[in-house]
Amino acid sequence: MNSGLLAITLQTLLLLGLAPLVSGLIKNWKAKLQNRRGARVWQPYFDLLKFFRKDMVVSEHASWIFRAAPAVLFLSALTAGLLVPLATTQAPLGVFGGALALVGLLALGRFFLALGGLDPASAFGGMGSSREMTIAALAEPAMMLAIFTLATTAGSTSLDQIVQTGRAAGWGLADPSRVLALVAMFIVLLAETGRIPVDNPATHLELTMIHEAMLLEYSGRGLALMEWGASIKQLVLMALLANLFFPIGLAVAVTPASFTLGVAWFAAKLVVIAGVVVVVEFTNAKLRLFRVPDLLSAAFMLATLALVSTFLFK
Amino acid sequence: MSPPDAVSRLITLLASLMLVLQLLLVVQRMLITNIRLFALQSVLLAAIATVVAVAYDAWHVLVIAGLTLIGKVGILPWQLTRLVRRIKIDQEIHPLVNMPASMLICGALTLLAYVVARPFTSLTRLGSNTLAVALTLLLTGFFLMINRRKAITQVLALLTTENGVMLAAIALTTYGIPLVVEIGIFLDVIVAVMVLGILVFRIRESFSSMDVSKLNELKG
Repeated sequence: MNSGLLAITLQTLLLLGLAPLVSGLIKNWKAKLQNRRGARVWQPYFDLLKFFRKDMVVSEHASWIFRAAPAVLFLSALTAGLLVPLATTQAPLGVFGGALALVGLLALGRFFLALGGLDPASAFGGMGSSREMTIAALAEPAMMLAIFTLATTAGSTSLDQIVQTGRAAGWGLADPSRVLALVAMFIVLLAETGRIPVDNPATHLELTMIHEAMLLEYSGRGLALMEWGASIKQLVLMALLANLFFPIGLAVAVTPASFTLGVAWFAAKLVVIAGVVVVVEFTNAKLRLFRVPDLLSAAFMLATLALVSTFLFK
Repeated sequence: MSPPDAVSRLITLLASLMLVLQLLLVVQRMLITNIRLFALQSVLLAAIATVVAVAYDAWHVLVIAGLTLIGKVGILPWQLTRLVRRIKIDQEIHPLVNMPASMLICGALTLLAYVVARPFTSLTRLGSNTLAVALTLLLTGFFLMINRRKAITQVLALLTTENGVMLAAIALTTYGIPLVVEIGIFLDVIVAVMVLGILVFRIRESFSSMDVSKLNELKG
């Protein structure tokens, strides 16, 4: 019981602490590639601090949903993060749910994010919400199928079980179905975290923004929770990619030394994934909104093929 | 695990990456990116040939790898890119069937290829689904040829089909086809692309478009 509480505390701290750093890292590297000096890596922490110190301005037309949405988004992302094994093979809340609970929690967060965009009845918020839901409706099935591909091999939708089967497989990790699922999952990561071929995280141009459009009415604490929640969600998706597909270096025993090693491995994997994301963002132009379904249908098809080929080649 | 198993795993991995690239070719709309994806696919083909050559002491397969690198990674993409730039065409591909639908069709073709190749999976020596990938490249290559209007993109589809044939040759016979035949096919393709390049240029000059669907009337 005591060690369970400790694991929950440690993983929560890891999620809260690491998430803004990953966002800052991606921003900084992107700036470097574009020949700008860029903000410092830890700038997101200062931003969050600043937002938390400020008051929240709420439109008089907004209902309680507008105030509740940031908290729901933040907590659902954090809970989803506790379901994923980050540095150890055992997720702290792994007994409570697996892949389905994770996808459900992320969907809950997104639902409230969209409601929060609609509630103050600003034109941009509604537009952002409708776009976000369109993209989510296409990205979610691809993500489910990609995770199910791994789940069929492991024989369980529990993320712990999937990771443990992956660790035992050795060379089996180079399975074609895993490659297809990995590519699908990566496209989903780009779509869900609002990266460049789908959405531009740095823009506030009214015609192109998706995620930012929903946050437009938020300020102060609400904005801080929204941004922190979004970066935690990004970290959770990256952790899925890192630990389900490359389950190397996870700590098995819960000793301080092995835990530290596990965190180091996890950080290394995050750096690699962040690097790939930066390169993709740097080398691609944003797609027109009506072209995004093409990309996501490709992800869906790849994930479908991955799932089917696990059955064809047992 | 023993080395042969690792080799077959590696080949399977490279082959499935080729499959991924082929499916990305289907959804990619920009012409130049299409050419680059094809070049990347050819690099993977050369890598598979190299792995086969080293693992099974079939040194003449190395010649295939070298030819692929020189021809399909070097000369052909360069030639095609130059052609695209020279005739200054619209960079976007306008397929007949829209992207999600063609993706679905290609998915179905992939499944068909997997089912057809299933009885041959006992050839585990070269990775169980290399043949399936080769068949997929063949079928989706044909589909791309039908689906696209511009002459250059059809040439590109032909080239991916040829990649599929090459992969099948390496995967099925384990030592590749005889070198003479191999070199013959290769020169054939290069000459075909050159001729098509000139043809495309002429079509462009007389019809001021590369849309082959406009070529259905005789002109005196």
